[in-house]
Amino acid sequence: MDNNNNQPTPGKFWTWFNPIGRQTGGWAFILNRITALGLLFYLSLHLIVLGQLAKGPAGYDGFVALMRNPISIIGELLVVAAGIIHGLNGIRIFLTTFGIGVTLQKQLFYTLMALALIIILVFGLRMFTAA
Amino acid sequence: MSQKWNITLKVSRQKAGETPHFDEYKMEVDPDEYVLDAVERVWAFMDRSLCYRHACHHSTCGACGMRVNDVEKLTCITFIRDVTHNAGTLKVEPLRNFPVISDLAVDMGSLYSRLEEIGARSVLPATEAEIENPPSKWDPADQQYIRLADCLECGLCISACPSAATSSDYLGPAVLAGAQANGLKRNPELLEIVDTEDGVWRCHSAFECTAVCPSFVDPARRIMNLRSQIIKERFGNLFRKA
Amino acid sequence: MTETTTSKSISAPKSGENTWLWLIKILTGPLLLIILAIHLLVNHFLGETGLLTYADIIAYYRNPIIPAMEIVFLATVVTHSLSGLRGIILDLKPGRDVLKIIDWILVLLGISAVVYGTWLALTIASSGA
Repeated sequence: MDNNNNQPTPGKFWTWFNPIGRQTGGWAFILNRITALGLLFYLSLHLIVLGQLAKGPAGYDGFVALMRNPISIIGELLVVAAGIIHGLNGIRIFLTTFGIGVTLQKQLFYTLMALALIIILVFGLRMFTAA
Repeated sequence: MSQKWNITLKVSRQKAGETPHFDEYKMEVDPDEYVLDAVERVWAFMDRSLCYRHACHHSTCGACGMRVNDVEKLTCITFIRDVTHNAGTLKVEPLRNFPVISDLAVDMGSLYSRLEEIGARSVLPATEAEIENPPSKWDPADQQYIRLADCLECGLCISACPSAATSSDYLGPAVLAGAQANGLKRNPELLEIVDTEDGVWRCHSAFECTAVCPSFVDPARRIMNLRSQIIKERFGNLFRKA
Repeated sequence: MTETTTSKSISAPKSGENTWLWLIKILTGPLLLIILAIHLLVNHFLGETGLLTYADIIAYYRNPIIPAMEIVFLATVVTHSLSGLRGIILDLKPGRDVLKIIDWILVLLGISAVVYGTWLALTIASSGA
């Protein structure tokens, strides 16, 4: 049976992100995993792009000029959002792991994500007005 | 005054070698009855081939765990009115991450054998049982008082756990919680079992186990506590060696 | 007769001291939060426009604390993300031998990234002279 008779099928990695039936903590897990993978991907790109800095002003400033369009800025905002969400969710994981706030993990998650939203909005505002 | 609702029960059916499918049963129920009653009604009056587990009907044995509308529940204590409405649908499926034997009954063997291997106790002395409002200091004579462990071994936590969904080697919340209840001080041999890739470190803090546990075990808290115990042991070892 | 699993009992403890790896992940986390906060704030809010031009960045890197911080940032984020990636890969249940190879690849990737980034940071810091 291709579903392995209801047992875990490790290869089907998309099941990691299945939100059906999940509750608060399960949502946090999914979010954390998506942002982690997204940030890893971005990190590799970022390191490569920064190599342009070694080539002097022409290379780097040219690249920045290329990125000053709304779509790229939205992309970058998504990266900032991923970093903030992952980081704040990480605070929840850190605290609960060391026994702090374990019984309040749902509230912890909501509070931290609300905070994340505010920070993301602040950055978004800045990124669109400074460009 | 009892009401009458007309609902459609969607039950997952799967016999040996088949792919699972849903059968629908229209029935009249009293919304103050339990989901397990509805399932039983199917077996008793509509389809004798339906296979499911039940025993105590009062949330003590852990036999009747199923997924009701995609959420793990003990069906003997889940009111129908809490999970559907008049003229609504009620979906019932077997627990995840265990092989299906027939319809709603799954093979819980891996859970039971693991619990046995870590020496999970079903009865604890009250002094160790983490009761509410314990006395500030236990009297040695209090050891005589015993208490049933919270864990019903129902498997809801393993069904809900995203890590258990990726690997059948993962010990799972119930087993780790049982190990924590014993404690590494009392059972130091457990260290080798829980301090592994498929032990505590597989947990990703999704807390789904605690969310679905019908018996206040709070496996997530216990897994976190077990981690602290492991770290203390490992670091303690570091200093003891020096 | 349905195939039922024979009671799958405790798996043999795997090689690899996961306590340490996990501890590294959870301790680099807060450190990253702090450095990342500085990094994001500086890049977006420093001065009028943040650090948007080559000249801005060179000027910023003149203070030796900055390349030092950026190198620490890089080492920390590479450690955290690659140990995290390994944790995610574990969910795919690779075989023991495959896992050993993956471990080596991750270590090599990590070291290369840090070496490259350190070189880059020092290059930028010195081009401001």
